[in-house]
Amino acid sequence: MKKNFFISIAFVCIVLGIMMSTQFKNVKNSDNLTVQRAEELTNKLKQIQKERDELKKQINDLESKISSYENSAAKTSTVTKSLKDDLDKYKELAGLSDVEGPGVIVTINDSDKQLQPGDDQNAFLVHDEDLLNIVNELRAAGAEAISINDQRLVATSEIRMIGTTMNINSARFTAPYVVKAIGNPDTLEAALKLKGGIVDTLLNWGIQVSIKRSDKLLVKKYDGVLTYKYAKPYEGGNN
Amino acid sequence: MALIIVLSLALGLAIGFFLPINLPPAYTSYLSVAILAALDSVFGGIRASLENKFDNAIFISGFFGNAILAAVLAYIGDVLGVPIYLAAIFAFGSRLFTNFAYIRRYILNNISKK
Repeated sequence: MKKNFFISIAFVCIVLGIMMSTQFKNVKNSDNLTVQRAEELTNKLKQIQKERDELKKQINDLESKISSYENSAAKTSTVTKSLKDDLDKYKELAGLSDVEGPGVIVTINDSDKQLQPGDDQNAFLVHDEDLLNIVNELRAAGAEAISINDQRLVATSEIRMIGTTMNINSARFTAPYVVKAIGNPDTLEAALKLKGGIVDTLLNWGIQVSIKRSDKLLVKKYDGVLTYKYAKPYEGGNN
Repeated sequence: MALIIVLSLALGLAIGFFLPINLPPAYTSYLSVAILAALDSVFGGIRASLENKFDNAIFISGFFGNAILAAVLAYIGDVLGVPIYLAAIFAFGSRLFTNFAYIRRYILNNISKK
């Protein structure tokens, strides 16, 4: 009987050991998995950000090369000179060159009101709609070049809230937002400060808005690439 | 006897670590209940042997039967949304401690008799 007991208890203990180690491995793995995954993703993100910065630098280099070519081409004849002038003009209109002039700087920040219990925190943040309204108002007042946090607003620019951050030209920002607009400073300021207008509404919510006039304002160029994948020039005929 | 238990347990652990047995993480909860049941059986077996009431058939069938029943209970509980596995944990856990108490008493008695 004693021998039987030893054999079976040894067997049972071996099985128990296998089960325990399997379980142990499992638990350890599942813990590691999430940590590993997060680490992997952070590394990837860092790498891609580095790549992006390098590519941006490359773009800048190439752009300066292009402009030097343009300049040298412009010197060869009057035709190329006028072409270059046209190019510069259209670049300016498209938002592809830095521009300066008089205008206003509007700084918008989240509300500094103390949150009362029961208040919706969302109501005290600057929303994409607020920025869109301001930009809209500025455009209506004749602003010629607008940038938010140095992101030039061009025809394809988006202003979109993602969680608590704002996506502008695919770059992410949080408050404060600095909107620079070139145009007639008086008109721009008056348009924003209309009674019952956008600034009034925002101040009601406690959102901090400050408008500063400037005689000489630099609005940076759009540093992305403007290409259309689907839109083609209309070539006439009946479609 | 203690030596045999420790050695075989170590052997089992080693086998488990070196063999590529990997259970999908979804089954972890079932295995944990089964482990508890198995642990209870081992303690029960030790106690029975100390009391000279050890029966091989009962021991082996209890080991596998308890482990499987506990896992099945956990599974059914998962399906039904009722935490039935708590019953298994409670039953086996309390039995574990009772058995351990018996073993302790027996050993202490033996020591004091000497």
